[in-house]
Amino acid sequence: MFERLAPEIFNGLMLGAFYAAIAIGLSLIMNLTGTINMAHGSFLTLGGYLAYTLISKGTSFWFALLVAPILTALVGIIVERLLMRPLYRRDPVYSLLLTFGLSLIAEEVYRLIWGSNGVPFGIPPSLSGGIAVADFQVPKIQILIATVLALALALLWFFLNQTRVGLRLRAAVQDAEMIAALGTNTQVLYMVNFALGIFLAGLAGVLAGAQLGLNPTSGNALLMPAFVTVIVGGMGSLLGAIAGGLLIGLTVSMMTLFFPAFSEVAIYVLMALILLIRPRGLFGEEGIFG
Amino acid sequence: MNRSRSRGAVLGFALLVALGFAPQVGRLVHVDTSIISEVLLTAIAAMAVNLLLGYIGLNAFGTASFFGLGAYGAALSIANYHVGFVTALLVGTIAALLGACVIAPFLLRRRGIYFALLFIAFGQVFYFLAYRFSNITGGEDGMSFPRPPLHLGPLHRSVDELGMYYVTYSLFVLSTIVMWLLVRSPFGRTLNAIRQNELRVRYLGLNTDRFIFVGILVAAVFSGIGGALYGLLLRFAFPLLLDWHQSGDFVLMTILGGSGTIFGPLLGALIFVLGKDIISTITPLWQIFLGGFFVICVLGFPKGIVGTIGDLIARRAASPVLAEENALDVSVLGAAAREPGVTEGTPRRRP
Amino acid sequence: MSDVVLEALNISKFFGGVRAVDDVSLRVKRGSIHAVIGPNGAGKTTFFNALSGFYFPDSGTVRFNGADVTRELNWKRVARGIGRTFQTPSVFPELSVHHNLLIGTQAERGIAFHFSLPGRTQHREIEERIDELLGFVNLGNVKHRLVAELSHGSQRLVEIAVSLSTNPQLVLLDEPMAGLAEADTVRVVNVIRDLRDRLGLTVLFVEHNMRVVLSLSHYVTVMNRGRILAEGTPQAIAANSVVREAYLGSEVIANV
Repeated sequence: MFERLAPEIFNGLMLGAFYAAIAIGLSLIMNLTGTINMAHGSFLTLGGYLAYTLISKGTSFWFALLVAPILTALVGIIVERLLMRPLYRRDPVYSLLLTFGLSLIAEEVYRLIWGSNGVPFGIPPSLSGGIAVADFQVPKIQILIATVLALALALLWFFLNQTRVGLRLRAAVQDAEMIAALGTNTQVLYMVNFALGIFLAGLAGVLAGAQLGLNPTSGNALLMPAFVTVIVGGMGSLLGAIAGGLLIGLTVSMMTLFFPAFSEVAIYVLMALILLIRPRGLFGEEGIFG
Repeated sequence: MNRSRSRGAVLGFALLVALGFAPQVGRLVHVDTSIISEVLLTAIAAMAVNLLLGYIGLNAFGTASFFGLGAYGAALSIANYHVGFVTALLVGTIAALLGACVIAPFLLRRRGIYFALLFIAFGQVFYFLAYRFSNITGGEDGMSFPRPPLHLGPLHRSVDELGMYYVTYSLFVLSTIVMWLLVRSPFGRTLNAIRQNELRVRYLGLNTDRFIFVGILVAAVFSGIGGALYGLLLRFAFPLLLDWHQSGDFVLMTILGGSGTIFGPLLGALIFVLGKDIISTITPLWQIFLGGFFVICVLGFPKGIVGTIGDLIARRAASPVLAEENALDVSVLGAAAREPGVTEGTPRRRP
Repeated sequence: MSDVVLEALNISKFFGGVRAVDDVSLRVKRGSIHAVIGPNGAGKTTFFNALSGFYFPDSGTVRFNGADVTRELNWKRVARGIGRTFQTPSVFPELSVHHNLLIGTQAERGIAFHFSLPGRTQHREIEERIDELLGFVNLGNVKHRLVAELSHGSQRLVEIAVSLSTNPQLVLLDEPMAGLAEADTVRVVNVIRDLRDRLGLTVLFVEHNMRVVLSLSHYVTVMNRGRILAEGTPQAIAANSVVREAYLGSEVIANV
């Protein structure tokens, strides 16, 4: 039994780390700007493709792992400055439609550049194989993914709680006008915030490309579970997103093992149950990151 | 009441009558009858978004779930029980209504951006059901089925493309009239009041959740009719009908045509369906154009075409149903705590 | 019927670590005009919100006509006879004055959920009621204007009329004079006085304008830092040295 269960548990935790990282990016953007970024999955895919291109141009996997998310975040900044900014003071329906349109464009552009079919994303030989834990082999790549994402989230927590900009960001989530009155440039905060969210998406995208495969819509497949993670964890809670992500990841992997047909539906049932017990999600308290 | 509004009613009536001749006109300019049917049934589904977005002020980004349930309801009842045309339509509509009964209670809890998030997420559950239970639904490949004959009173006949148009047309006219009556009824006026200031409506002693719940059910019926018609038109149902991308299309049409107006959904559906049809025959890259179209509409026509024209013409008429684009967002109501010092009682917009 | 309409016992409300309202009790006598005053941040509005069900207090009890309504949802309290206004007039800005009152009157008649239009008789009754409410606040001349186009003072009066449409016994007014021009203040003061004198309602209001408070109210509760500082008749409050100290530097009370 353990031999069958253990890999699925590791798989679930890894999926959960993905969901958490994506959900936190979504939440960051949502809480500050009142925008649901429907193109978040496209940024994920972009991160994967940029890393793929870098590696096929001969750079190392580690270089790509760092640089591709930064490049993705730069694209994010351009989108934010040019397209999102005019919509901040308007009804959320507009930013939803805009990011929705962007995701359509992105999908087709990826298809034009990198083709409709999935591309092989070779992980370096040093990462293949596993490490023995008890009498079971944990794939190195899964350990890497968990480590990198955990590190990124720890850095994010540090940034939000221990740096001046981070603290201002958290304060701005509560009251943008007050922060503006205190002299902080809110436009810069918006930009930093968006870039952070997209960086996380890009990072998750590179790792997902290495582990789950890469095609023009692969990022979108992770988007819906991330939405569920935001709802389950409680909107605006960093801890909630991590707990929610791991819970959803484990649910998916366990259901895949026992009732594969229900693997996606199960997370919605879980979401409904959690909302019945805790209407604001596991750690739901609006607008306060920490 | 006033002259401009009765003139509007006459024009609207004339438009509905004129649509009866659309297939004949379409043939003259080489437009397929089935495309015109698609415009009208899409308009019925967009009316659902219009009710939620334009009149109640809810970010209705999940109505494709009801639309797809309509199509699958018709498809499954025909494929498994060989029911007639009318029964298939009814089953589709009821399936959408039941789906709404399941998810609506969860949606009621929040407003604004959170409502959108919940609606997208909960709407997607039906997509995965259709996708995964492939032995029943055909999974990703979808399911095809024959279009059954119509038995209605003395009428017994098979439904060709023209017949399909007239069925769609009749239901479109009926839906338009129902919607027109609905938004003028006390219920509809209260919905519109909720959009402008939900807190005030609560302080008039009304449980706004109940109004919103019924509003979602009504929207599900409209979406379900549209979806069942679409299934019957294509003789095919597939999971993407239930997907959030489909929901986004309906929202765009509604905004484009002008949300909170009676004929906005029709105009939006006309531009969208015909535009998509034309672009997809010209270039394989239609998705880029479609996405670009979204971006241009959002940045360029925020009030939609009807809204922009309406602004120019009827600025002074104090029409209660000619709604503006902005929905209010009272995300914390009633029992919920709020930070001290926040001014309450006014419609709030998210920054 | 008891002569106390509204009774608040030991109400507390915290926000994070801040005690916005700390153990406040208050009784509102039937047929009185009762003012709650205090400097900014005294917790007046928070207290008010706990009374009207905008949110629930963390501890304490609210009784209305003897019934415990502490944890009753806001919309249910309206049916018991509580109406309220907000600091910024809470109305339907895109509707005409007439339609604003129609929404309220529909709700009061129990037909807000109807899918059909009211019958001829009921329609006439509703229109008469709307005219009556408009007459009370003297807004008959702007009946068909959009509320958003009206002056701040007139919007305040529309809001009061809308609150009256549900037939309350007790009206809670949150800073009714906030942001009003001098002439509008007089209009609103007269309407508040009429609420009691002509309609026999009880009024509880939060106010900053000390002159208005002293001329209008029968009883005054002074709050400071989330607690009650003093209470009594307007004359007693004006003479109270503790209150004067809390308001030190405030020219309004210095002139009284």
